[in-house]
Amino acid sequence: MVKTEHEIVEKVYAAKTDSQAADALIQQYLGFIRNEVARAVYRTDNGREDEESIAMFAFYEAILSYEKGRGAFLSYAARAIRNRLIDYYRKEKRHRKIISLDTPFQEEDEGNSLMDTLADQSDHFDGYAHREASQQEIREFEKKLEEFGISFSDVADNCPRQRRTFSACLRVLEYAREHPELLEQLLRSRKLPVNELSAGSGTDRKTMERHRKYLVAILLAFTNGYEIIRGHLCQLGEGKEEAAI
Amino acid sequence: MKYLVMETHPAYAVLLDQSGRFLKAANLNYHVGDTVMDIIELSPAPDSGQKRIRLLRRMTGSLTAAAACFLLLFFGVYRPNFTPYGTVRLQINPDIQMTVSQTERVLDLDALNQDGEDLLEGYEYQGKSREQASEELIDRAMDMGYLTEGGTVSITVESDDSDWQQEEEEKSLAQMREKYGQTIIIRTGIMEEEAEEPLLQTESDVEIIIDLPTATPAPQTETPTPAASPTPTPVVIPSDDDDDDNGAVWHGNDDDDTGNDGWDDDDGDDDSNDDDSDDGDSDDDDSDDGDSDDGDDD
Repeated sequence: MVKTEHEIVEKVYAAKTDSQAADALIQQYLGFIRNEVARAVYRTDNGREDEESIAMFAFYEAILSYEKGRGAFLSYAARAIRNRLIDYYRKEKRHRKIISLDTPFQEEDEGNSLMDTLADQSDHFDGYAHREASQQEIREFEKKLEEFGISFSDVADNCPRQRRTFSACLRVLEYAREHPELLEQLLRSRKLPVNELSAGSGTDRKTMERHRKYLVAILLAFTNGYEIIRGHLCQLGEGKEEAAI
Repeated sequence: MKYLVMETHPAYAVLLDQSGRFLKAANLNYHVGDTVMDIIELSPAPDSGQKRIRLLRRMTGSLTAAAACFLLLFFGVYRPNFTPYGTVRLQINPDIQMTVSQTERVLDLDALNQDGEDLLEGYEYQGKSREQASEELIDRAMDMGYLTEGGTVSITVESDDSDWQQEEEEKSLAQMREKYGQTIIIRTGIMEEEAEEPLLQTESDVEIIIDLPTATPAPQTETPTPAASPTPTPVVIPSDDDDDDNGAVWHGNDDDDTGNDGWDDDDGDDDSNDDDSDDGDSDDDDSDDGDSDDGDDD
């Protein structure tokens, strides 16, 4: 399926804001992504999974950051993949003392150290059961967010990047925790009580509106039923310890 | 820092860090509920890049609009009103020349002889139209004694745009005649310094020669109507003599015999046959329309 550049660019732009479209586009170009990995890497054992994950991630990043003036999208994405892989190897090099980047990768049986950084490690920490419980809770949380018309991706996109704004949002959270009736109102009305929160926390409304989705999520985490999540949030920017309610 | 995996996609995952931040990162074989430590976080390029590009685009748009506006004003207003388009020469005895814009605005005023300088001294022409300036200068000439009843004013228009030239000439003639035609001869064509031929012959020997119909379709056929014809007093213009030009307007002018001091009276008939082909025929049309540029920029 040969697509014209124009069609690809259209899809890229659609995928910027639609996570399903993004997933589909990445799926469509999986072969391309794998090919780019193969060109950069010589390992043939299944350790290539990580590179592939990274490459897919790089492709996703390319989708988000691509602009029309930057040449053909696929070249742009190929560069992004290559850069990410280089970064990754550089990081790994520190851990594993791998031979220089310029030399092709050889089969190594140091796969373990790579594994160390992966999610599998979490199993050792938390245990299978714990992870199951976490999963369950998170899924419920996700459902709750859906009632507000919000997805996790939305929340991540909406999360403030500036320290200042982030602190402001945490102040809103703090105020809400001190006034649990507002949390109840949030649950009941399926809307963020902006006025009260703004007045009470001293945060201006515009900031709150701009980060509405994030605020909903973080406030919701402090309603009943999300102990594990709260347990995870043991340091809320101010080092507040919060045991499960 | 530990991260809780909230959601997974093939190419990325949504994580929650311990400070309450939600973020996207590479999905390194994650499962929802995992806690992970080393992550590859999404690089936050898109916003600022897009913002700058959007800003750039908006600026480009404004810039284009401004450029278009400027061009419009330049070509639509400035150029026709403030760029020289032709010259209008008035000869009485004083000889002056107006540089004129396409819209008949007097941009400059020069004297072509000493009397002209005298005539123009202290005269302000800024912002006046050809019509107004012409009238005022003729009035001035009369006030200063250069022009008397029966005198002649010769108007010559020159321009690269021959249509415009013709039009202006006709207008000039019509306008000046309307105002002064009772007492002054208004004609076109350059009056030569040396007295070549007499203006008109005596008595009723007034022949109207209409040479080239190119020039002025204006009242060419004016016969020596007494109304129009100036009084028999000859023009006091010392050295002016006119050759006539093509088909121009002859006002029936009878000078009496004594009137022609110093002028040669060759023959009884006029000479009016020389056609200077000044105005009218235009072989060259340079229609200069400024530059043909397009005001687009990106």
